[in-house]
Amino acid sequence: MSHVIEVTHLTKEYKKLRAVDDLSFTVEKGEILGLLGPNGSGKSTTINCILTLLSYQNGSIRIFNEEMRPSAYDMKRKIGVVFQEVAVFEELSVYDNINYFCGLYIKDRKLRKQYVEDAIALVELQNFQKFMPKQLSGGLLRRLNIACGIAHKPELIFLDEPTVAVDPQSRNAILEGIKELNRCGATIVYTSHYMEEVEILCDRVIILDQGKLLAAGTCDELKKLASIEEKISVEIRDLDEAHRLCIQEMEQVESLSYDGQVLQIIYKQGQDHLIALMSYLQKEQIPYHRIYSERPTLNDVFLELTGKELRD
Amino acid sequence: MDTEAKQEEALFYRQIHYIITIPEHFHSDFMDGEKPQLVVKSTNDYEASLAQMQLERYLNAANALRFISESEAELVANMEAVFSETTEVTMTSKLDTAGLNKAAFYYNFVNYALLAGCIYVICLILSSFQQEPVRKRTLISSMNFAKYHRQLLLSNSLLAIALWGFYVLISLILVGDVMFSEYGRAYILNSFVFTLCALALAFLIGNLVTNKNAMNGIINVIALGSSFLCGAFVPMEYMPDFVLRIAHLLPSYWFIHANNLIKGIKTFDSAVYRELLIHMGVVLAFALLFVVLAYLIGRKRRKIA
Repeated sequence: MSHVIEVTHLTKEYKKLRAVDDLSFTVEKGEILGLLGPNGSGKSTTINCILTLLSYQNGSIRIFNEEMRPSAYDMKRKIGVVFQEVAVFEELSVYDNINYFCGLYIKDRKLRKQYVEDAIALVELQNFQKFMPKQLSGGLLRRLNIACGIAHKPELIFLDEPTVAVDPQSRNAILEGIKELNRCGATIVYTSHYMEEVEILCDRVIILDQGKLLAAGTCDELKKLASIEEKISVEIRDLDEAHRLCIQEMEQVESLSYDGQVLQIIYKQGQDHLIALMSYLQKEQIPYHRIYSERPTLNDVFLELTGKELRD
Repeated sequence: MDTEAKQEEALFYRQIHYIITIPEHFHSDFMDGEKPQLVVKSTNDYEASLAQMQLERYLNAANALRFISESEAELVANMEAVFSETTEVTMTSKLDTAGLNKAAFYYNFVNYALLAGCIYVICLILSSFQQEPVRKRTLISSMNFAKYHRQLLLSNSLLAIALWGFYVLISLILVGDVMFSEYGRAYILNSFVFTLCALALAFLIGNLVTNKNAMNGIINVIALGSSFLCGAFVPMEYMPDFVLRIAHLLPSYWFIHANNLIKGIKTFDSAVYRELLIHMGVVLAFALLFVVLAYLIGRKRRKIA
């Protein structure tokens, strides 16, 4: 696979703050790369540097094997961007907004009409074409924002937290739309601090914190970085101290926490922990409502790497 | 009317307006260089003033010719020769000064109307394009920046020209007689050139200011300020010299000054056209400067930090 984006030793500083610190990574053709990190970790700054909206102190950025410059218009034709902020004209209808932004790339009117209709269908805004942006809900507005960014059918798409403050229905529509774009051949760079979205969507993930690359790889590869193997949560009431101590002493238990409602047990390695725990609870006749097992999440990886939660 | 009473009566009834009594030895005293006084009685009205003026002119001329005349008879002959000379005068234009004053007053006011209108409308439009997210989306698009800038300027020029057309139409209604003459064409051309400058200035401000709320303040400062400084409301003749010197730095001054020049034109010859073209050229130079500045500012702001 050829590199669609190649970022090498990128450093961006704002006076005394180093927003991006010696960041290097590549994006391969046809993949969805997730940039995961808490707010202020440098995700948007990195994208803005790649798009030449921000100047940077060090490093190089190459897109489609060419150096990215503000005047690289041929290269920009292949790029689509969906920013975190909704970027539409309040004075234009849904259709006219998409048509305007598509017109910045596509001059042929017939072709543009087709592209606009395709974009509207992709984000499922067929019934809202004549609506003005202020008449749309937050979720529909986000979908319009996406349609404006991808209507010209770019080969490379940057999506900067496109689902912030979006209702679940719109979120699902947006995520489905992104998968569809990828299936049609688009390479996607997706930034988010929602790890669930990143896990669902991304082929590879880069974890950023304070402008530094902490880890990179597929979700499975990253999860191996966590020092835990399994998390079991049990909804249980009034578990006494003696039982807690007994569970703590069970094999391969790394740690245990109990908040009076949910008992959470973390296992470092091994398997069949759920069966062993359920056998113990049954034997001791301890009643419980729900019990479930989880693999470590990207949040656990982030916690392991930084000592803090992704949403801190 | 040989008696004093009859004279007084005739004057009272305005049968006559002016009576000159030439005293004895007047001619000899006059020829000797003394200043003999004539005895005058008049009605002190317009006709009397006219007679007084003609008498003074006659005596002044006689006084001047006295030096080259040997005798009284020669002086009379010289006077007749001088006053018999005629000059043919042909009126080349029929100046409608009242109409021209009205037209100049209207077009001087158009300075404010064009500036305020262009700045308000164009800044309002550009503020939509200057919203940070929209601007970012435009900057990362494949639209060539110079081309985008040019298209934005040209599309806004349609608005400016429509505004100018509206004001010209109003002038045709208000002072149609003047507007359908050479003077009118000069006013229209001058205002068109100024419209281009107002467009360029509005475009520059639109590139600088993104806050819609600041717009009213800017219109007041620029449109109203330059109109006052450059004599759109108060005639330039009444303004202090130092204010006019400062006003030279503003395009409104050259526009308004050209309007005032047009008002005073007697005949449209090459010298007049040259002077008007110089004024319009200065306004166009301002327009060019504003466009270049707007382009440079837009180019500099291609990066968000």
